[in-house]
Amino acid sequence: MEATRQIYWNIGHGVVIPMYILAFAAVGVMLWGFRQRLPIWRQGKPLDRFDRYDERVKRMITEVFSQVKIYRVTDGGLFHSLFFWSFLLLFAGTMLVMIQADFFTPLLQVNLLSGEFYKAFSLVLDLAGILALLMLAGFFIRRFVIQPKGLEIVKDDYIVLQLLFAILITGFLIEGARMAATELQQNPALALFSPGGLLAGQLFTALTPDALLVTHKILWWLHFVLVLGFFCAIPYTKLRHIFTTSANAFLAPFEAKGSIATINLEDESAVQFGAATISDLSWKDIFDADACTSCKRCQDRCPAHTTDKPLSPMKIVKQIGELAESNPAGSLVETVSQDALWSCTTCRACQDVCPANIEHVNKILEMRRNLTLMEGAFPGDEVRTAVSNIEVNGNPFGLAYAARGDWSDGLPLTVMEQDSDVDILYFVGCYASFDKRNQAVARNFIKVCAAAGVKVGILGKEEKCCGEPVRKLGNEYLYQMTAAENIEVIKAYNVKKIVTTCPHCFNTLARDYKDLGLDIPVEHYSTYINTLLNSEKLTLTPEPFNFTYHDSCYLGRYMDIIEQPRAILSRAGGSITEMDKSRYDSFCCSAGGGRIMAEEKMGSKISEARIRMATETGAPLLVSNCPFCLTMFEDGIKTGGAEEVLRVRDLAEIVAERIAVTQ
Amino acid sequence: MKLLVCIKQVPDLESRFKPDAAGVWYNETDLAFRMNEYDEYAVEQAVQLREKLGEGTELTVLSIGPDRVVEAIKKALAMGCDNAVHIQDTAVSAKDPWQISSIISTYVQGKGFDLIFTGMQSQDRGSAQVGVTVAEQLGFACTTTIVGFDYADGTVTAKRELEGGIKGVVKLKTPALVTCQLGLNVPRYPTLPNIMKAKRKEITVIPVADLLTADLLATTTSFHPPAKKGGGIVLEGDVGELVDKVIAILKDKTAVLR
Repeated sequence: MEATRQIYWNIGHGVVIPMYILAFAAVGVMLWGFRQRLPIWRQGKPLDRFDRYDERVKRMITEVFSQVKIYRVTDGGLFHSLFFWSFLLLFAGTMLVMIQADFFTPLLQVNLLSGEFYKAFSLVLDLAGILALLMLAGFFIRRFVIQPKGLEIVKDDYIVLQLLFAILITGFLIEGARMAATELQQNPALALFSPGGLLAGQLFTALTPDALLVTHKILWWLHFVLVLGFFCAIPYTKLRHIFTTSANAFLAPFEAKGSIATINLEDESAVQFGAATISDLSWKDIFDADACTSCKRCQDRCPAHTTDKPLSPMKIVKQIGELAESNPAGSLVETVSQDALWSCTTCRACQDVCPANIEHVNKILEMRRNLTLMEGAFPGDEVRTAVSNIEVNGNPFGLAYAARGDWSDGLPLTVMEQDSDVDILYFVGCYASFDKRNQAVARNFIKVCAAAGVKVGILGKEEKCCGEPVRKLGNEYLYQMTAAENIEVIKAYNVKKIVTTCPHCFNTLARDYKDLGLDIPVEHYSTYINTLLNSEKLTLTPEPFNFTYHDSCYLGRYMDIIEQPRAILSRAGGSITEMDKSRYDSFCCSAGGGRIMAEEKMGSKISEARIRMATETGAPLLVSNCPFCLTMFEDGIKTGGAEEVLRVRDLAEIVAERIAVTQ
Repeated sequence: MKLLVCIKQVPDLESRFKPDAAGVWYNETDLAFRMNEYDEYAVEQAVQLREKLGEGTELTVLSIGPDRVVEAIKKALAMGCDNAVHIQDTAVSAKDPWQISSIISTYVQGKGFDLIFTGMQSQDRGSAQVGVTVAEQLGFACTTTIVGFDYADGTVTAKRELEGGIKGVVKLKTPALVTCQLGLNVPRYPTLPNIMKAKRKEITVIPVADLLTADLLATTTSFHPPAKKGGGIVLEGDVGELVDKVIAILKDKTAVLR
């Protein structure tokens, strides 16, 4: 007997027309549900996220079907991915049955679902169903028994999980009932290829043939109605993420990570800067709320949230969605709270880990822009002073701008005003210029350059703060003013390459200044030194040492510079013990987003938390390559009582100590 | 009601001061300039009153100095002043407080100002005379170093800072002049729309010669740093090295180890 099964067995082909009508109706309800969301999304400002269509489609297909962003975090993610793939198989299988029954059989008189293919088809689908059920059980246990910290339980969770459970169970029961009446009696060997149905079939063996037929019919309709319910429920429950989260893989930005819209300050008709209400955000910012699955991965990784500050990136995304729906004219800042907004270090951990491609950081920055540009607000008086210092002296310390180049006295470099014929322009930054600890980094970097025969120039008193901290606080005006002055000065010289020791200067000059007309290659010294080593312009005499390395947010997550500093340290003789949170999962030092100028008044200290992670590796040395990180860690080691066990040093210091002496 | 606030642009105190060629004032090279701190309190208070009184009130900001003072004027306009007067003077530092106040009085005379705000003193010269002298020359009621301010129906109620932390309250009928002290308020940070609006506000430029009638009463004869009386040395480094350095200094410069 050939291996196959009769589709619509016991149901009859008479069901086809009502079934299709009901199915289309359900899909109609679903589309209508999404259609109702349109006006809510459209409250936002226009934003083109439909350009480069092919690339977007490709990215969406890759991300959705590979599930790569989901299983990156195994807790919860692995269940989801396996459930997704098995459910996808079941969906594809059902589609195949539909095509066979309603197209191939009546139109072509061909039966695909027969023979060896049917056996494989049956087995794969049954196993997929079993796997899906197991994963669903995993969802249940995780959410209702284990209840990970921060994972909310809402009405949707009950509805969705029970609905999916019921669909899968009824699916197996129909199969079981059909097999009890057919395969189990006529072709038991074939039944082995339907292990789920075989098991479910045992429930029905005691029934009379008539009762079995009725039971099967009832189950079939029940299963069908549940599936209709599933489609209808999509736009109204968390199930919407099937479409919205997938859509976000299409809608995600193509701009370089960390890009912020450069406000046109020449536009005299502008009356609102930053986001005060929903309509000041983009439609994508509102859509993001619908794409959020409340997986709380952002919140788990937020350095502010995990040190008890009133910020949850997830909550902000949700609050925007709620405001768009219930009170679009309401104040965003009041809804989200100033404390939450000012707590953000713009470390991008939230955005990097988000499986739904939600853009958290720029929402916060747009709201900060409103606070700063429209209300003249600051996170604290110390920040007001620092910002005013940048205005007057071009540095947050308020030290004399004319003393900016003093650190370089007696070092082998030139000031551009006197001699601009140099290999690289070293954009020193405020910390390396004025802060004692970081001046040592600058001096060591110059030493390294000198050893490699690189002629370095600095701007000296012509250099100003790059503007990064004030920009991240929302002060686009001051940022553009200082940036314009820097750009004018730099452009006056024939600069071939700019190198920075500060990742914040690096991001700003390399990416943000492009919008303001600076188009000169910019590098961070981590990659620059690595290139010097690779080209053997610089050679090191390795000296063994054990260390752990801190990925600065603005190098790792923002600029994908992860391996180069590790390669340099390895050449220097270092043996690394990684922290749990490293590379893209690195944990911020606390100083990004302009927080370097602010006191950390709420919760516990982020820098101490990071220092604890470093000491847990057992390595006696923490290497960083950012002046903000270095400053916070020097501080965190002292206040966190780690002075006996840990030292923090900069990459340039490690390299400078190991420069090979040439014969 | 017409309000006036007088401001001065001064060098940032973190700057490095060097005597000028004549040795009677500081050299302006490498100095960063900003609005005198006490004048910021004056501007803030004037703007708050302007906002409270609303339509029909006009707030003018006045500053004397070279072109660079326009920066300070623009900030005051961005904070909320309605219009500005720039009394152009490239030799402002050569004038004494008497001449400066005479210039202001000559300008104010007959313009119908009801209330004038100034800082209690400038951060560079620090004479604290200009405000009070203007009041005297104009016959305005005057109080100084205010840390609290209220105005209603032609009467100013000001809280003053007295010696030893004691506060006093004075009431003045307009026309009046007050000089403002730290603690009066927190000067606002100009918002971007106001910065943009300020670009379109009118700045009247008057050459100082048109208003200068008084002669110099006090001449600055010398500007120089105090004579060095020795200084401290800050040692840095590892404890071991520090000990060696201290011993070396003690041996070298003192007799304690001999």
